[in-house]
Amino acid sequence: MKCPRCDGNKIEIIATSPVGNVWEVYECMDCFYSWRSTETPVVHEKFKLTKEQIDHLPMIPPIPPLDK
Amino acid sequence: MANVYQDLRSFLSTLEENGQLVRIKEEVNPEPDIAAAGRAAANIENAPAVLFEKVKGYPYSVVTNVHGSWANHALMLGMPKTASTKEQFHEINRRWESFPVKPEILDRDKAPCKENTIDKPEDINLFEILPLYRINEQDSGFFLSKASIITADPNEPDNFDKLNVGTYRIQVKGKNRVGIQALAFHDIAIQLEAAERKNERVPICITVGNSPLVTYMASTPVMYTQNEYEFVGALQDGVPTQIVKSDLYDNLYVPAGSEVVLEGYIEPRVREVEGPFGEFPGSYSGSRRQCVITITHVTHRTNPIFENLYLGIPWTEIDYLMALNTSVPLYQQIKRDFPEVQAVNAMYTHGIGCIISTKVRFGGFGKEVAFRLLSTPHGGSYSKIIIIVDEFVDPFNLPQVMWALTTRVRPDKDVVVIPNCPGMPLDPSSYPAGMHSKLIIDATTPKDPEPNPREVELLEPPVGYEKYETLIRELMAKM
Repeated sequence: MKCPRCDGNKIEIIATSPVGNVWEVYECMDCFYSWRSTETPVVHEKFKLTKEQIDHLPMIPPIPPLDK
Repeated sequence: MANVYQDLRSFLSTLEENGQLVRIKEEVNPEPDIAAAGRAAANIENAPAVLFEKVKGYPYSVVTNVHGSWANHALMLGMPKTASTKEQFHEINRRWESFPVKPEILDRDKAPCKENTIDKPEDINLFEILPLYRINEQDSGFFLSKASIITADPNEPDNFDKLNVGTYRIQVKGKNRVGIQALAFHDIAIQLEAAERKNERVPICITVGNSPLVTYMASTPVMYTQNEYEFVGALQDGVPTQIVKSDLYDNLYVPAGSEVVLEGYIEPRVREVEGPFGEFPGSYSGSRRQCVITITHVTHRTNPIFENLYLGIPWTEIDYLMALNTSVPLYQQIKRDFPEVQAVNAMYTHGIGCIISTKVRFGGFGKEVAFRLLSTPHGGSYSKIIIIVDEFVDPFNLPQVMWALTTRVRPDKDVVVIPNCPGMPLDPSSYPAGMHSKLIIDATTPKDPEPNPREVELLEPPVGYEKYETLIRELMAKM
């Protein structure tokens, strides 16, 4: 299974339905996109991410310097 | 004495008694049904809250659109559901004056939010407690859009005035792991920076499903040193709100009636991909590297109700939630220095658009009032389109505001653009994100020493019009 957003292959099952066995929730451990097995995720091109983009996304808020 | 709610459930009962809550009894899919109902409700005038009793795969219920109409907003304040927006604005302002009202601190065994406890991190599974769902299709996951989040100032951890109760979006990233958006100008960012400079964790409580005025105040831009719980008591017309000590942190207090309380910490100096998320300006924010929270302890009521809100192109529930709770604090902050100000309507996209009515003391006074708005903590970043009207114009009556614009404004002198100011980064016209220009339109009547060469007299209603207004209404009611 691949991540629909970044094509990463580190996909984990983060949840199974507490009632019945009706769905699972998957998450990409590279970009933290998550989806339910009952969905058909279509990530718009605008929101897709590459490994390089992930590493260089702006930080909110920036990490401040450590106090000396 | 206003009707007062100490938890979400009692308010839902009042909504139902007043025909302002509907129940969907049939089982629904988490996606897209819950968000679709949120959008649908927003399209309906005086929409009710929508309670989903059964969500596929989950044991508990979801409620949305709790604040999503002026009728529900009025009932939150204990007013008749027909109260006008302007009446609600003035009532909130009246109650605002009684701030601070100290909260009532309950013993642990008296607090409903402590009915059930999960105290081992490995036993926590947010999906077993909350029926999580995707709100907008391109959201990066399942978000809490309406939680009230409690943190303290690391430099003054026991200063109750600086205890922060705020609303920040939360992306669920695992069974006990979530992301949070803390923008630089938010109160929580002050606390985060102080902790990260020392490489310390930020203790945090995320509370879900609260009394309507707790949620309301958590999303109200008050001053950093003003405690939100003390405002809830004020808005409850002097009745203290009930809180209880967090299980993990002696200096954090949570609403006693919360449906679910998640306790843990923000991991210091860690950022991970978060977003996109459909935001209040009606468009998606992008992905950013943002903070991460580990949940280590949970308490919840038996059969907890998950309250969440839908955000779409305005107006949706969030616009009702952030309408008067943006207008009132801005009004209060401005009128402290300018008592001439009559009312502030900052209902448009969390105060990005703002209309102020004021008496005019001297030439240029309208612009001076606009500058004061732009020097408030919220208005400084958010407010971008500022319209100043005379005292006799009702800023909540948009046709009247348009009348003022069309008959009072001379564009060559009354319209000003100030470049390179702070901006709201989620406003897609802000560039770079967080920077913007400001537009001031002074639609007030010129006053000395500004020349007013074509002074006019306003039209007065003919004598006896009130009598005819009553008569015409009565005749219409009989038709």
